[in-house]
Amino acid sequence: MSQSFSNNINSLNTFNTFNAADHRPNILAWLSPLEPRLRHQDIQESRVEDIGEWLLQTEEFRSWCAGSGGDESDSAVLFCRGDPGAGKTYIR
Amino acid sequence: MLTSCDISSLVIDSLCDQAGGQDVAVACFYFDFAAQKEQSPTSVLGVLLKQVVGGLDEVPGEIVRAYENQKKVIGGRGPRLSDIVGMLQTTTSKKRTFICIDALDECVAGHQAKLLGSLSQILQKSPGTRIFVTGRPHIEAEISKRLTGRVTSVSITPRRDDIISYLRARLDEDITPDAMDSSLEADILKKIPDDISEMCVWLPILGRIP
Repeated sequence: MSQSFSNNINSLNTFNTFNAADHRPNILAWLSPLEPRLRHQDIQESRVEDIGEWLLQTEEFRSWCAGSGGDESDSAVLFCRGDPGAGKTYIR
Repeated sequence: MLTSCDISSLVIDSLCDQAGGQDVAVACFYFDFAAQKEQSPTSVLGVLLKQVVGGLDEVPGEIVRAYENQKKVIGGRGPRLSDIVGMLQTTTSKKRTFICIDALDECVAGHQAKLLGSLSQILQKSPGTRIFVTGRPHIEAEISKRLTGRVTSVSITPRRDDIISYLRARLDEDITPDAMDSSLEADILKKIPDDISEMCVWLPILGRIP
């Protein structure tokens, strides 16, 4: 009796642990139906190498990237303003 | 030639390269006019959380519990915005997180305000979180209003080096390379960037002449 009870508990525990890991894809899908990875790959492939690299060297980008929200002058948000097609109209 | 998508994808790749080996999460989203319906604040913030959680060894208990609870009601409900924001507050406090959002101006105006409000709530709990946003200049006022005192802004205009990189790439793709000789190529790489730089200087001035 007690043997079969503890067996049951064991199988229940195994089932629960298994359950959480097993549900991982379902839980991720439940969080959002969107999949931005493909869009990122498309853009990455069509991007001309080195273009816009200068931004990574600017003081604004560097301090945004290195900041940790510790002091009052820290900017957690970096906004890059421009036309989504900026430049496209110059050369076609 | 130099679009906000290019800038976003460059920044995302550079952050991912830096993150390699370190305990850092990078999450991104590209807004698109054509898909406005699916891009609600809940699903956009949800997909950011999905990317952060996707990089963890285990799904945090808080998220597993929320999932189990919602599955029990009306045959399975989606997560609520307040739940997603709460879960993002917790996960971003535990792990340094970079959030990149491209073309925020392509998001429905009402959604934009909600999204920015949620990002502000996340920053309140986790001020070390870094948020990168691109968009047309007119949304800057809205961003500054919702995320007061936390925003630095940079203007994205093509630089001379960008124009040269772009021309080089296009010349490489030339399907009639016989028509090109080295002096013509050198001429193109010099003349066009010069002319464009001049146009960039003069166009705004000409625009002001009545």
